[in-house]
Amino acid sequence: MAPMLQDDLPRRAFLKGTGALVVGFTLGWHRTAIGAATPHLGPYGPAEDEIDSWLAIGEDGSVTLYTGCCELGTGSTTGLLQIMAEELDVAITRTRLISPDTDRTPDQFVSSGSRTIAYHARPIRQAAAEARQALLDLAAERLQVPVDQLVTDDGTVSLREMPQRKLSYAELVGGRGFDLKVTGKVRPKAPKDYKVVGTSVPRVDIPPKVMGTFTYMQDVKVPDMLHGRIIRPPAHGASMIALDDSSVAHIPGVVKVVRKNDLVGVVCRREEQAIRAAQELKVTWSEWSGLPDMKDIYGAIRDLPEFAAGYPKRSPGGVLENIGDVDAGFSRAAKIISATYEAPFHHHGSIGPSCAIADVRADGVTIWSGTQTPYGLREAAAKFLGLANEKVRLIYVEASGCYGQNGADDVVIDALVLSQAVGRPVRVQWSRADENGWEAYKAARPTDMKGGLDASGRVVAWDARTFGMSGYSRPEYHEPRHGGEPGSLVTAQLAGWTKPGVEEGFSGAAGNFTPVYEIPNRRVVFKYLGAASHRQGPLRMRVGSMRGVGSPDNIYAAESFMDELAAAAGVDAVEFRLRHLRNERSIAVLKAAAERANWRTRPSPNPASPNPASPGDIATGRGVAILGQDREDAGAVRRDTIVAGVFEVEVNRKTGAVRLTRAVIAQDCGLVVNPDAVRNQIEGGVIQGASRALFEEVTFDRSRVTSLDWAAYPIMGFRDIPYTVDVVLADRPDLPPMRVGEPASESVWPGLANAIYDAIGVRLRQMPFTPARVLAALQRQHAG
Amino acid sequence: MPGVALSRALRVNGAAVPVAPDDPATPLLYILRNDLGLHGPKFGCGLGQCGACTIHINGKPVRSCVTPLEAVRDSDEITTLEGLGTPERPHPLQKAFIDEQAAQCGYCINGMIMQAAALLTRKSRPTVADIKDALGNNLCRCGTHLRIVRAIQRAAEAG
Repeated sequence: MAPMLQDDLPRRAFLKGTGALVVGFTLGWHRTAIGAATPHLGPYGPAEDEIDSWLAIGEDGSVTLYTGCCELGTGSTTGLLQIMAEELDVAITRTRLISPDTDRTPDQFVSSGSRTIAYHARPIRQAAAEARQALLDLAAERLQVPVDQLVTDDGTVSLREMPQRKLSYAELVGGRGFDLKVTGKVRPKAPKDYKVVGTSVPRVDIPPKVMGTFTYMQDVKVPDMLHGRIIRPPAHGASMIALDDSSVAHIPGVVKVVRKNDLVGVVCRREEQAIRAAQELKVTWSEWSGLPDMKDIYGAIRDLPEFAAGYPKRSPGGVLENIGDVDAGFSRAAKIISATYEAPFHHHGSIGPSCAIADVRADGVTIWSGTQTPYGLREAAAKFLGLANEKVRLIYVEASGCYGQNGADDVVIDALVLSQAVGRPVRVQWSRADENGWEAYKAARPTDMKGGLDASGRVVAWDARTFGMSGYSRPEYHEPRHGGEPGSLVTAQLAGWTKPGVEEGFSGAAGNFTPVYEIPNRRVVFKYLGAASHRQGPLRMRVGSMRGVGSPDNIYAAESFMDELAAAAGVDAVEFRLRHLRNERSIAVLKAAAERANWRTRPSPNPASPNPASPGDIATGRGVAILGQDREDAGAVRRDTIVAGVFEVEVNRKTGAVRLTRAVIAQDCGLVVNPDAVRNQIEGGVIQGASRALFEEVTFDRSRVTSLDWAAYPIMGFRDIPYTVDVVLADRPDLPPMRVGEPASESVWPGLANAIYDAIGVRLRQMPFTPARVLAALQRQHAG
Repeated sequence: MPGVALSRALRVNGAAVPVAPDDPATPLLYILRNDLGLHGPKFGCGLGQCGACTIHINGKPVRSCVTPLEAVRDSDEITTLEGLGTPERPHPLQKAFIDEQAAQCGYCINGMIMQAAALLTRKSRPTVADIKDALGNNLCRCGTHLRIVRAIQRAAEAG
């Protein structure tokens, strides 16, 4: 597919109906539009209820999809094109996609939570279905035949009985647009008629990525552009005391040293000059050491004040579920166990640190960004500059994979400040240390579990309590719909922005904490501690969303604990779960995973461990975890992806090293739009999940995060990867497509913990599962 | 000498190209990306740790983010991903990466292909262990490793 920067504009040169000329920003690399339709451009972009907002048929019959969804390297571009091509009966090779651009594409909010195909594809599918119907109606009129005698295929409408009588889509509407509302009255195709959806269409973005011709955010250049770098405080809470501009006077190419409150940067002609100037600029900062001791971080989190206002109406006080009588359940239990699980802060670990370009001019502002919230960030940027939304245009450009909220939004504020100071477009590329030091981390989390078994080995009481922070520090609210706020961004905070940011509550962070099992008495509580930022609040560690948000922590605790209950009951881990499951989809998925993994029914730990067949001190084990559930929501069933994972490990008793050797993932995510792209996501989720479980932990001293490079924050490399990841996809075209990117990765932490227990008979309740922790646990076992 | 453009020529992807940086210590990565518009090599860490910036100098894989311009001789042949193959005539590795769909975000893929190309020159039929060793210091965050290994095996088999 053609890189997005070389395509058209100005698609919206004319506002339909008024004929008023909208003067766009002069962008040297834009070409004249091909087949550009002209939907109404409202304050939040093209109107969602017009077909022309979503797609345009060119004079050459090619079809362009305009989406507000951000491709994040998951293959969503290809999936969305498949869905559109399917409904329109057009070859996918004649389609292309225009990424979010506040001047050209509808607002589709936040591209997160694995929702692009599961949720955001719906209006695209509907618009395409209505476009096809409109083409049929137009052809019926032109050919003077009843519409029910017409069929569509490969970009043409023809008479069913006389295929040579036909009109191409280009002949019908090419280059002109539909000028029709989306009515919602046209029924999209039935899945049984799908020809493109459900097939492994090769991803359109992979060839240019492999050839080096793809344009990432980090590759964008605009005319007259300068290079900026920022200089962050050496401590999260430090303030600037003095700045010595002359310290960089000897460096060639320095255009300006810029300061806005505690946001300090340099602008240079060339990139390497900016890097050097940022290193050599003399800045004096205040002393600050207000971080808790890393050794006591989980205690410090427990001690944080509760953030009462953030509790959603549905779970006041953080009570997600309170069913039966938990205390009575425990009083009748034959056996009660309890455990605490702890998972640390994580870096997103994007291979390319965040980057943005801003061009702040008197007549308007253009931003190029790898954000996940194009419209929300546009509004936040407008507020930051004191401008109306319409004065700011944000163009999304895919960046290095983000896996959640990395620094992509924050670096935009840096670029705005620097560009405003020099009156020219400025590209700001964060360094590795900038990214690791100032992104929004996945929050560290302690979780307490208590459960009771009756004499027959059934779980009769379940008491779960976790201490979580917001998984959301994006610059846009989910509700109300359009509410960008710069205050959520740490760079805006550095620049002196004092108004509060977005406060979304804990909903994402509480995901999957309620058990999937039939347990008569249960209480599930999410102690909500609010948001956290380097610059604000009681815990000066910035937190935000990362693949699964808080769900991986919740599942880690819940599924590790279910395993502890199974072992306490002396029952096989799969069998024990099946006894407590009622949802047919969950049962089918768990059985599919166990079958593919050749799961042998026996209780844990592995009686053959250390395996006599294995050399030396290697013990082998297997673990299972399951997640996902359907929910009743206002009378309707809200379906979600169900995943069961089986993980096989080797544990070296002498060194403590844990090796994931094989993973089996069975997944029911409803209709699968592109099976190979889904497998790619699942394989990646397993490897990233295992990396987080085995190796990863953000480190910090009392002043700042110290895991600032890959030596200090190792991730899984080729030598550590599993031999295989087997994927079993349920064939459920009868169900709507559901989330793909996150769920499988969430099964990995407990699956590994359970496999380690199976191998060596000790529980690892604190991540990461490092050799030191394994050896310490073995020593405790030996001593005990 | 600050402020004085140092004009010289490099051999990049088979052609002689003039470059005129201010500072001979400029890492090659910025010359390639900003002066020559070659975006195959990526900025990842600037520390030589992740491999996203990998290029070849005389066929050997090199981390361009920590290779100063002054360390490159006039006779050195620099090859970037763009010089390995073209969309019309892709390198066997590029074709294999497409066939195996061995990318997600794809930001690391430059380094994977450049590192693997050097391996295949050295050893035309590498074992899986050889591949994992050769790529041992190239980081991928999307978790595409299994596909990358398969793609390299496929390219090796295609010869």
